[in-house]
Amino acid sequence: MSTASAKPVAKKKRSSRIPLTYVVALVPVAAALNIVGGQINTILKLPIFLDMIGTAVAAIVLGPWWGALVGAITNIVSSFISGPIGLPFAVVNVVGALVWGYGVRWGLGKKYWSYFLLNIIVAFLCSVTAVPIYVFIFGGATGHFADMMTAAFLAMGQNLIVSVFSSNILVSLADKIIAGFVALAIIEALPANLTANIQLPAAAGGLKKVLWIAGGVIVGAAITLIALAVAK
Amino acid sequence: MEKRPATVGTKEGLGAGIIGLGLLLGFLPSAAQKIADLDFVQSEPFGILTGAVFVMAVLTALAGLAVILAKFEDAEE
Repeated sequence: MSTASAKPVAKKKRSSRIPLTYVVALVPVAAALNIVGGQINTILKLPIFLDMIGTAVAAIVLGPWWGALVGAITNIVSSFISGPIGLPFAVVNVVGALVWGYGVRWGLGKKYWSYFLLNIIVAFLCSVTAVPIYVFIFGGATGHFADMMTAAFLAMGQNLIVSVFSSNILVSLADKIIAGFVALAIIEALPANLTANIQLPAAAGGLKKVLWIAGGVIVGAAITLIALAVAK
Repeated sequence: MEKRPATVGTKEGLGAGIIGLGLLLGFLPSAAQKIADLDFVQSEPFGILTGAVFVMAVLTALAGLAVILAKFEDAEE
């Protein structure tokens, strides 16, 4: 008796698999983007980090755990370039990748406002992860611009953990909103078959898309200015 | 027979993430010593390493949970 007729007919579904060549190309490029962003930030002494744009791109396009790999590579390579301070913060990069990746896959990237909210969630969870590292390993200061804000909050009478969290959340909010929307612009430029299965608001297209991306970056820049004002 | 291009999916992504966590774990002991040697850091290497390994343990457990919960039915046939 033939068993072929008894076999249920498999429902043909759209494959979410990505060509290996894209992954092999995108992971090192995303890590390099992070490292270059981080170096630009260090040289210009900006009040943000700029080292998670590639992580956001990889986490959204390839998946959260590919993003985690990019985050780990970024901080390991950065620690060879600019000292070991960055290595414990690899955990923050990994957490950011997981939240961006799973957030988009769970539908938080469908609309512009929900994508904006996702970036705020990423910023909050990254701060929650980073603050214990700042406080318990480095005693609250690493030489970043945010240290000036921490000092200002300490001078106001706050305790160390609250001061570090307050300064870090401001910097992180600006950084993750900018990173999220710059990543959205980069994803738009990627081949269509690579982004076909991702639910992103940019699919709506047109002027609205450009306005939202520019708006997101402007909001991030505005928070950066607020951080600058707090530090002075 | 036409050769299909190699593709990756959820399974490979999870594997790559776990490799990333393993790489980080490998670098932590030397980084803990180097961080403790910095002038402005008062923590001991053991404390730094313990904290870092604890956080990595949480992330590794999350990766394991993701492996358990992930659906791999999109694998190539």
